[in-house]
Amino acid sequence: MGIYEHVEIFAGLPVVDAGDAEATVADPGAVAWRISMEEFEAPPEEFEAAFEQLLQRTGPAGPTALVVGEWGSAYDSPFPYQLLVDNVVRLSGLRALFVGDLTGEECEISWIDQADITPVIEAFPALERLWIRGSESLELKPVRHEGLRELVFQSGGLPAEVVRAVAASDLPNLTHLELWLGVDQYGGDARADDLAPILAGRSLPALTYLGLRNAEIAEEVATAVAAAPIVARLTDLDLSLGVLGDTGAETLLAGQSLTHLRRLDLSHHFMSAEMAQRVVDELPGVEVDVSDPQQEEEWGRYTAVSE
Amino acid sequence: MRLAVVGNPDNRRVTMFTEAVLRAGLPAPAVHPWRAVLSSGLVPAVDPGTFVRIESPGEDAEVDRLLREIGGGRPAMPAEHGEIVGSAAAFAGLRWALDRIAAGGGLLLSRPADILTMSDKPRCHALLSAAGLPVPPALPPVHDYASLRAAMADAGWSRVFVKPAHGSSASGVLAFATAGRRVTAATSVEISGDKIFNNLRVRRYDDEASIRTVVDRLGPDGLHVERWFPKAALGDRVLDLRVVVIAGEPRHVVVRTSRSPMTNLHLGNARGDVPAVRAAAGERAWAAAMETCARVAACFPGTLHAGVDLMFRAGWRDHAVAEVNAFGDLLPRVLAGGLDTYDAQVAALARGWSPVREGVAVPCGG
Repeated sequence: MGIYEHVEIFAGLPVVDAGDAEATVADPGAVAWRISMEEFEAPPEEFEAAFEQLLQRTGPAGPTALVVGEWGSAYDSPFPYQLLVDNVVRLSGLRALFVGDLTGEECEISWIDQADITPVIEAFPALERLWIRGSESLELKPVRHEGLRELVFQSGGLPAEVVRAVAASDLPNLTHLELWLGVDQYGGDARADDLAPILAGRSLPALTYLGLRNAEIAEEVATAVAAAPIVARLTDLDLSLGVLGDTGAETLLAGQSLTHLRRLDLSHHFMSAEMAQRVVDELPGVEVDVSDPQQEEEWGRYTAVSE
Repeated sequence: MRLAVVGNPDNRRVTMFTEAVLRAGLPAPAVHPWRAVLSSGLVPAVDPGTFVRIESPGEDAEVDRLLREIGGGRPAMPAEHGEIVGSAAAFAGLRWALDRIAAGGGLLLSRPADILTMSDKPRCHALLSAAGLPVPPALPPVHDYASLRAAMADAGWSRVFVKPAHGSSASGVLAFATAGRRVTAATSVEISGDKIFNNLRVRRYDDEASIRTVVDRLGPDGLHVERWFPKAALGDRVLDLRVVVIAGEPRHVVVRTSRSPMTNLHLGNARGDVPAVRAAAGERAWAAAMETCARVAACFPGTLHAGVDLMFRAGWRDHAVAEVNAFGDLLPRVLAGGLDTYDAQVAALARGWSPVREGVAVPCGG
């Protein structure tokens, strides 16, 4: 399993391929522009040229939302965040950024080569949404950012250091946080302890959606969440794509009340049919997703997205 | 109109074709078993006006053994269930057998040279490429893991599909990716002792030693390596199309979908929703894809049907041909204008389709 499709809506805007010269766009600020090189191994100049072309097409404020797919040897070369930082004046309109919109057909998620994203966060104080896919070489230092509303890390293995940096960041307006924790084999070495500041509700005062997804440590996460003070503030709890089984689900139900939630997403799980039904039955009024049940294999349980 | 079939008599391919002939109110076709053709080397003489359909020799262990024995020129052992063995010898055996069948007379519905080209991936790729048809670029010939890596490095490619030159469906195929010293391969091949098997479950190898073993074992029978063409997806499955072109018309289509890079396994993969794919691609891209399939089939004018495997690129921007199948018309319950692929072929014959004769030059591709 893995990621199969490019994003079609980003930041609430329809995604338009910047390479499609025939696409007619009345208002360049009302779409999310996607730049992606057709060649897996396109040289950096080709990406820079496409980026320059997009800046010219979108006018003095640049794109509102930018989605980057293949930037050229993404499996081997970090995304050139410096290019964005260098053009910060021409990107004054940028509110949403997604770097790494690559499917499993294009690049193994665990190979997508990221970099230190701290400078780009600091350079764009008006950024509201940031999505990062892939965690190879991914780094983050604790930041203060008042603009961010939505922060998403999709990975096959999110480094504990990044998790700790998010937890130590000052993001007073962040409402949506997604951490795809992944598996240890692909660098996902975070444990429940690393999530403690987030779960304790000490950081991220505005959070209403918490996604601790695609986790090999789903059972451990479930145990931690069952007693986490932050849960009382959430409307959406998303523990999907991981390896949650009956034990974790039992802990979750035995813990604090979850009936205030709008939505609980447990899809892609290893619960028995009986346990899945129990979760639904015990949370009336909560939209509970227990779709996509998995069967344990010879080698154990797999998260939805790893390699 | 009289028809004859060379095939494995109990196989559903033969029975379904026979049923279509009977539905058309024609006398049942005479069936000439592959086993008899291969063991006696004789094809019963058929009347010059009889149409002869050549069916797949597949799914019969003894026929497979005979093909490898004849093609290899030495005694061959029966293959174990799922064992990948002797595809080059089997191809040579097929070449010999098709000569025998042609010598038996009648009007062949598939030209032997076309069957052989479609069953030889490097040759088929070269033909389509020369005709200007969209195919992923291919590496020069490689014969083992070391030469594969060298050729990938020369080309500057990190992602490829490695296919046995004479394989069918996903048997022996590897979706192989590299990044620096890291490697990963998704494949249905399973190593067991000194043999390799085709497993219905796609698995992933992340260690170079296993990948080297698989490629080195497949190498002697010939390899064809193409650059990985990132396939489009719908929902949580990647997809490609099998389009059967009959008498020039690409009307029978199935969508094959998978959660692995391999869409063309016999089992485990679901048939997708053709209208949904058509809608996602858009009418223009869909029409262009169908046009490509028709042009591919036009490269084989002496042959009534061709099964074209067509991939849309992720994002639907363009498409490419993955392969062409000489025996690719087994699409049970897929109807176009009320006719399945077999009905449509019988109908084409009734309308007067006849093979372009050997040696007649026909523009291919366009």
